[in-house]
Amino acid sequence: MITLTVALLIGAALFGIGLYGALSQTNLVMIMMGIELMLGAALVNLVAFWRFLHPDVYAGQMFFLIVMTVMALEMAVGFGVATARFRAAGSVEMEEAAELQG
Amino acid sequence: MAVRLVAVALCGLAAVWFGIRVFRTRSMVRSALALLFAMAALGGLFLALEAEFLGVLQLMMMATEMAVMAIFMVMYMMDPGGLGQMEMTHQKRLARGAGALGGLGAAALAVGLALGGGWGPISAAAPSPAAQNHDLGIELMERSMMIFETAGVTILVAMVAATAVALGRRR
Amino acid sequence: MMVAALAILGPLVAAALILVIRRGAAALALGGAAVGVGAALVTLARVAAGGRYAATLPGLPGLPLRLAVDPLAAVLAATVAVVSLLVLVYAVGYMAREADQVRFYAGMAGFSAAMQGLVLADDWLLLLACWELIALASYLLIGFWFDRPGAREPATRAFLTTRAADYGLYLGIFALVAATGTTAIGPSLGARGGVATVAGLLLTLAALGKAGQVPFHGWLQDAMAGPTPVSALLHSATLVAAGAILLLRVAPLLPGTVLLVIGLAGGLTVLLTGLTALAQGDLKRLLAASTSSQLGFMLLAVGAGSPGAAIAHLVAHAAMKGALFLGAGVFQHARGSTVFAALAGVGRAHRRVYAGFALAGLALVGVPPLAGFWSKDAILAATFASPHRAALAPLAILGTALTGAYVARALRLLWHGTGRDEPVVGLAPMGAALAGLAALAATLGAAFRPLQDLLGVTLPEGTVAPVVGLVAAAAGLALGWGVPAGRFPAPARAWAAAGFRLGDGLGGLAVTPTLALALALDGLDRRLDGAVRGVGRGALAAAAAARAVDTGAYAAIGGVGWASLALARATRRTDERGIDRLIAALVRATRDLGARVRRLQTGLVHRQLALAAGGALLLLAFLVVGGLLAGG
Repeated sequence: MITLTVALLIGAALFGIGLYGALSQTNLVMIMMGIELMLGAALVNLVAFWRFLHPDVYAGQMFFLIVMTVMALEMAVGFGVATARFRAAGSVEMEEAAELQG
Repeated sequence: MAVRLVAVALCGLAAVWFGIRVFRTRSMVRSALALLFAMAALGGLFLALEAEFLGVLQLMMMATEMAVMAIFMVMYMMDPGGLGQMEMTHQKRLARGAGALGGLGAAALAVGLALGGGWGPISAAAPSPAAQNHDLGIELMERSMMIFETAGVTILVAMVAATAVALGRRR
Repeated sequence: MMVAALAILGPLVAAALILVIRRGAAALALGGAAVGVGAALVTLARVAAGGRYAATLPGLPGLPLRLAVDPLAAVLAATVAVVSLLVLVYAVGYMAREADQVRFYAGMAGFSAAMQGLVLADDWLLLLACWELIALASYLLIGFWFDRPGAREPATRAFLTTRAADYGLYLGIFALVAATGTTAIGPSLGARGGVATVAGLLLTLAALGKAGQVPFHGWLQDAMAGPTPVSALLHSATLVAAGAILLLRVAPLLPGTVLLVIGLAGGLTVLLTGLTALAQGDLKRLLAASTSSQLGFMLLAVGAGSPGAAIAHLVAHAAMKGALFLGAGVFQHARGSTVFAALAGVGRAHRRVYAGFALAGLALVGVPPLAGFWSKDAILAATFASPHRAALAPLAILGTALTGAYVARALRLLWHGTGRDEPVVGLAPMGAALAGLAALAATLGAAFRPLQDLLGVTLPEGTVAPVVGLVAAAAGLALGWGVPAGRFPAPARAWAAAGFRLGDGLGGLAVTPTLALALALDGLDRRLDGAVRGVGRGALAAAAAARAVDTGAYAAIGGVGWASLALARATRRTDERGIDRLIAALVRATRDLGARVRRLQTGLVHRQLALAAGGALLLLAFLVVGGLLAGG
């Protein structure tokens, strides 16, 4: 019980940090790091729930794999976009990327 | 039990510390490295929680990803070393508020639920790694085949999309 | 028969033409009268040769109109036609100054046609119709000068008195037709017994009224208010003779009692009206009384059982009295009045007229060899021969004497004295007609024997009668010429002059009630008319009210229409200003909101992330709270 709570608290902390980072950073790559952290927090929760509540149900692990997949995909597509952006604008600073305004 | 708790707490705290370090430093490289260490700590955490396969997977994947990220970071950052004094953050208050809200909210939820009604019966033991692998494989191949397949197709699509986006125009 | 019919048609067509063409009235009337005379004389000749004619005209269903020409009808038709012609010739002169010639000649011609129709009628319907028509003509002609004072009332009195007496004719005809089942006169004379008596008495009543006998003698006096040609034709020769003609026609029907009544009535009339004539102060009224008296003689003859004597006297009287009236008319024109006081000495001024007048007067008295001698002689003989001679003969003798008396009186008054003469216009035709009638009065005596043969009747003769008659006549003449009127007591004279009238006479019995009834009916008619007008006005008011209602309804509908239009306008205004503005405001607000929301679309990734995070947190909060609530 306590372990579970601790793990969840860790997950919560990581989530908060990740959110802070995603919202406060100007660089696209940094934003993506924040998102990575948030996803990591989700992973922590998943594992903790699997381990302490339903260790015999592997849907939790399945979910883990999916989240992992999402992390990878997000990174891949994100960097593709960053590449395109860099080519178009010369930097990946999100402060300047206001073309979609309005 | 107590050992596990300590291990979990240590790994978790390490992950949190390194996560904070990601955004407190000016150097991009150091951010990337901090993230790497955070992810690694998470992998250790998973191991401590007796999810061996997942922990190893985490370590392996994150290591690779962080390396790639570091490369990209160096590619696209104006000041990868953080040697300049430029301010790299915006909407700080909003971000702090949102982060605090999210984190504290989740924490409150966890503690509250734990104190309130409990999570239900806590299982003391976890299956052995071999059994875990075996069962995960069964799960993957039987019940969650559809999800697996979907994930596979999604990965393919994402690869193609990323490549297409990254390729840019042909001159 | 056509020739006989011309006796009717001649004057009738003349009357119609006068009324239509309204010019040359005198010429047309004379033409018609001439045609009538020709036709009547030709018919008389034919009938004398043995011809008898009859004709049936379609009348009412089952009641045809019949004409018949037998000796009596032929003689009477000839009398009427000749006297009509001569009087019309006279009238050309008498009425020369008159303005309304059309009305006069039309009336005279119409009267002639109706009189001929009465004479030639062979069924009761036609006789009745003609009886009434001659009464109507009499009314119109007596009242010819209706705008002069005292001319209308005599006409009304005459008409209503004879009409009252005509009840007898109607009831008698009803009785006869009911008894015999046919309207033809000939068959109906075969009735016997009680029907004959009753019918006879009723018909006698009508005859008495028409002939101006007692008690109906008043109207004839008053009828003298009309023009003198009218008096000459209608009220001496023909119309009043219709009463006698009626009795002559139905003579075969009458039983002995009725004949006695007739005789007594006639005799009484002879007496009373003879005395009246003696007391009269007006020449024409004297002659009117004389007419009643002579007609009384005719009724005496019928009552004595000798219709022949009556016919003879009728024919002679027509000529004699006609001549007397024509002379009186000339004197009237000469002095401007018919009162004896004004006419004093006029005979000396117009001697030839006076000679004709005197000739006719002496003929009336019965001086031989004038016509009146033979006819009066026959009447006297008849009364001597009748079963009731005790009653009738004295009356006849007295009557003869009285005739002589008043004729002599008249002649004396016209001869003696002086007066102021006025020039007489139209003396030539007047004189010619007078001469004609006077000549007839003198010579008709010769025609009585052929008349007898023609009619198949016998005029009674004897030796006593002529002698008695002459004595009586001479006594009367002497009395009249020698004894002035002042010898008689004044009250008696006045009463006699008034025709021995009791109270208002028949005026109270017949005239006043009838006029009162007429007035009442007129009032009723006016009220009905007023009611009808009221209905009409009510209808108009209803129509006006309906129109007002309709106008109101129209205005209301119009108001509804206006209200609807106003409502529509208000609705439009509401729609345009209210709803459209509301919608426009809504659109504007939505656009503004959209613009504002668009500002969120900064395009900046961190902003989007912040929004996404906020949204996700909200969702999570909902889920958690919901889950807690559901679980808790």
